Amino acid sequence: MTEKKKNGGSAAPDPGNVLFVVYVGFVICVILLGMAVDGYSGELPDSPVQQDSKKIRQGELLYAGDDGKLIRAPQLSQEVEIYISAMTARTMVRQRFINNTRSWQEAVYVFPLPDESAVDQLLMRIGERVIVGDIKEKEEAKKIYETAKKEGKKASLLSQERPNIFTMAVSNIGPGEEIEIEIEFQQVVRLDSGVFSLRFPMVAGPRYIPGAALSNSGEDGGKLQFSGSGWAVDTDRVPDASRITPPVALKDEPERNPIRLMVELAAGFPLARVESLYHGITVSDGVDGVKLLHFDGVVKADRDFVLEWEAAELTEPRAALFGEEQGDDSYLLLMLSPPAQPVTEEALPRDMVFVLDTSGSMAGPSIGQAREALILAISRLGRRDRFNVIEFNSNAVKLFDHSVAADAENKERAVDFVRSLEAQGGTEIARALDLVLDGREDHGRIRQIMFLTDGSVGNEEELLKMISSRLGGSRLFTVGIGSAPNAYFMSRAAAMGRGSYTYIGHSREVQQKMRELFRKLEHPAITDIVVKSSSGRKLEYYPGPVPDLYAGEPLLVSLKLPGGVAEEGLEISGRMGMQLWQEKLSLQQLAGRPGVASLWARKKIRSIMDSSAQGVAEESIRRQVVSIALEHHLVSKYTSLVAVEEKPSRPVQEKYVSSALKNNLPHGWQADAIFGGTARTATPAHLRIITGLLLLLAAFFLCFRKRLFR
Amino acid sequence: MTSRLLRITTFVLLAAGSFLLADGCWIRTKAVLAQILLQHAWQESLDNKGKEVKPWPWADTWPVARLRVSRLGVDLIVLEGESGEVLAFGPGHLPGSSDIGDSGHVVLAGHRDTSFRFLQYLKNDDLVTVQRADGVTERYRITATGIYEAERLYLPQKKHAFLSMITCYPFDTVQPGTSLRYMVSAAPSAAAVNSVAEERL
Repeated sequence: MTEKKKNGGSAAPDPGNVLFVVYVGFVICVILLGMAVDGYSGELPDSPVQQDSKKIRQGELLYAGDDGKLIRAPQLSQEVEIYISAMTARTMVRQRFINNTRSWQEAVYVFPLPDESAVDQLLMRIGERVIVGDIKEKEEAKKIYETAKKEGKKASLLSQERPNIFTMAVSNIGPGEEIEIEIEFQQVVRLDSGVFSLRFPMVAGPRYIPGAALSNSGEDGGKLQFSGSGWAVDTDRVPDASRITPPVALKDEPERNPIRLMVELAAGFPLARVESLYHGITVSDGVDGVKLLHFDGVVKADRDFVLEWEAAELTEPRAALFGEEQGDDSYLLLMLSPPAQPVTEEALPRDMVFVLDTSGSMAGPSIGQAREALILAISRLGRRDRFNVIEFNSNAVKLFDHSVAADAENKERAVDFVRSLEAQGGTEIARALDLVLDGREDHGRIRQIMFLTDGSVGNEEELLKMISSRLGGSRLFTVGIGSAPNAYFMSRAAAMGRGSYTYIGHSREVQQKMRELFRKLEHPAITDIVVKSSSGRKLEYYPGPVPDLYAGEPLLVSLKLPGGVAEEGLEISGRMGMQLWQEKLSLQQLAGRPGVASLWARKKIRSIMDSSAQGVAEESIRRQVVSIALEHHLVSKYTSLVAVEEKPSRPVQEKYVSSALKNNLPHGWQADAIFGGTARTATPAHLRIITGLLLLLAAFFLCFRKRLFR
Repeated sequence: MTSRLLRITTFVLLAAGSFLLADGCWIRTKAVLAQILLQHAWQESLDNKGKEVKPWPWADTWPVARLRVSRLGVDLIVLEGESGEVLAFGPGHLPGSSDIGDSGHVVLAGHRDTSFRFLQYLKNDDLVTVQRADGVTERYRITATGIYEAERLYLPQKKHAFLSMITCYPFDTVQPGTSLRYMVSAAPSAAAVNSVAEERL
């Protein structure tokens, strides 16, 4: 409006021209009309924020469904099939997007997958038709998707936001239509202290987004950045915050995203125990010792699904080797349990630092579990140990200025302190790391850091870099707490911190899981592990270098044998305290297993991505990742899967609505909420003063002209 | 003929301009003047052990707390409610949130260009004091500031005292109805940890 007014004034021709007067009158009318509708409609057409909000608001249009209730967005139901075969698992996730609204829809769903999952397949099913997704560089894939969307074609795009958070976008779902997307991925089974486990996350929990809001103050004129569909604004520390914070359904909203799940478990040995930790599940026997498991009905997607199994005694395999041929090359997955570490006379004297997350996301059962675990750990300290406790939320606070001796008095004080802790505020992990990581190599004793958190943060890379550069001689052991911890961050932090990670999903697990952790803390680790070919051929294996192994952990590496398997074996060596450990494996009895090559490529990508923490330039990382991901058809930070239907289905003149599908709030999280967006917290005062001044200016201008031409 | 038209136009422009200018200034003046009246009502409320005292006979709201930030010289009476009439006079307490003095999440809203203009200057660790109607003063420390979309601004209820203050964002735009909100959150100041810093304030 103000723009128009100025132009009108300066472009005025002869004052005698009636047209000019009509124009001025018209402008005044428009202004007055604008005021009559109470200032709030006085939107500036050029305001960048306004354009942003229009884009964002699109998804919030309401449509009445058949039952008269308002339906805003397509609905989603999912089916998950997991096929476990010894140490690897292939999972198929079917996401059915059902559009019960009366308009064309684009659905955007941000969802979690296991960290380390190698996603290599995308299928789009429209009725009878099946369209297979192609792997492309991320930007190119996005362009293909956006073009198809504009042309009215059905298309789907799967992109990775974090190694454990993905976005599925499906365009042009017609009113009453349904599109089924099928994705497949490969993952490795976890083995720790004889317990095999597999984790399938079902909800991307809200994360803490630190940093200041980004705005390109330069060219774009101070435009706030909402690049994605989430609730958080992009910040300097989490530049993609809006892409990893999907909207969350509240307690009083109906349940959404129901999941059906079945598992086929071919462990390869007789089982002593099969258990789903947090979900009711029915187990039946299939042929050849295969176990079939399925959920009792439909399950609400609000916490991680975790399956555990154990071998009947003495049948547990100590080593396993799987292979896959691809082109001229062979790929191997090697699992080897080292012999039990020697027990030292008395545990080595240690300097323990306990770090406890008391942020708002830990409220509810999580903080209780963490307190319990921590008190257990403190009570376990020996007379020769020293320790300290650090609590953090928006700030980090040390209990003692320096580590103190673990005598009865200090322990009691620490336990009292831990008991008094409540969960609230932000998750500034960086501040806690700042207090605890000093970069010193030698502390005179073994320095171990036990870090209890749910890892609900968006600035993982920043934190991993910090751990990598300032670890020194300390070792970081992460303990994941809660129903939907950020497993990617916890395991990477432990890897960077050269320690191990443990998950506690329920208070009944605290005792047992902590006992396993104590065993690791109190026994020396196996270090300097090297894998070699007996013929001296160079091997490319990941993770490389192999991380230290703690008590109960098996060695798990992915190898590539260029040119295929020859007549040779593998030699593995390492150090257990003062002793040397060495094993030889023959490559003769190689069990063929599809997916091993994908797993190798995934591990290689992770290794390349990790090099950013060591300061390798982003562009070089991108080039390497793109080349390996395209070769192995894998989704990565720089590559996406995209599928496009050939013919358009939406007439271009018809509009569509874009909806961000909600995630459930993780189980046990405090869900009561207050809606804070209703108050109109701005007055039209500023607008009125400016408009008023402009009108007065115009009046004086007219006066002046009158006198001039008289 | 044209000169007459021009004269009328000039007059209309003058009148409309003066009206808008005066109205705009009045909105701001009102917010300042009202606080003076409200201070009296607040004192009366304190003297009568937390009785709800209407600041003027026809008011549909009453003071519920006194909000102070000594670093910024802020001293405001908080009213009950979040309607436009309430916010014209000062920050309002969202009726859906916990009552001031109860343990739980207390949410306040205020205009970005009058009462809550100061929110943009608050930094982490700033001290905010809230005097309740029963005379007790609570201390809060700022823990977070951020920008959110109004439509998705769902704040979690808490088991413990927590304070959030909301205003429109961006602060310096003429457009009154934006879809963004600026929110400042504060947790009760942990007396044991920060007692030294507090003494200085």
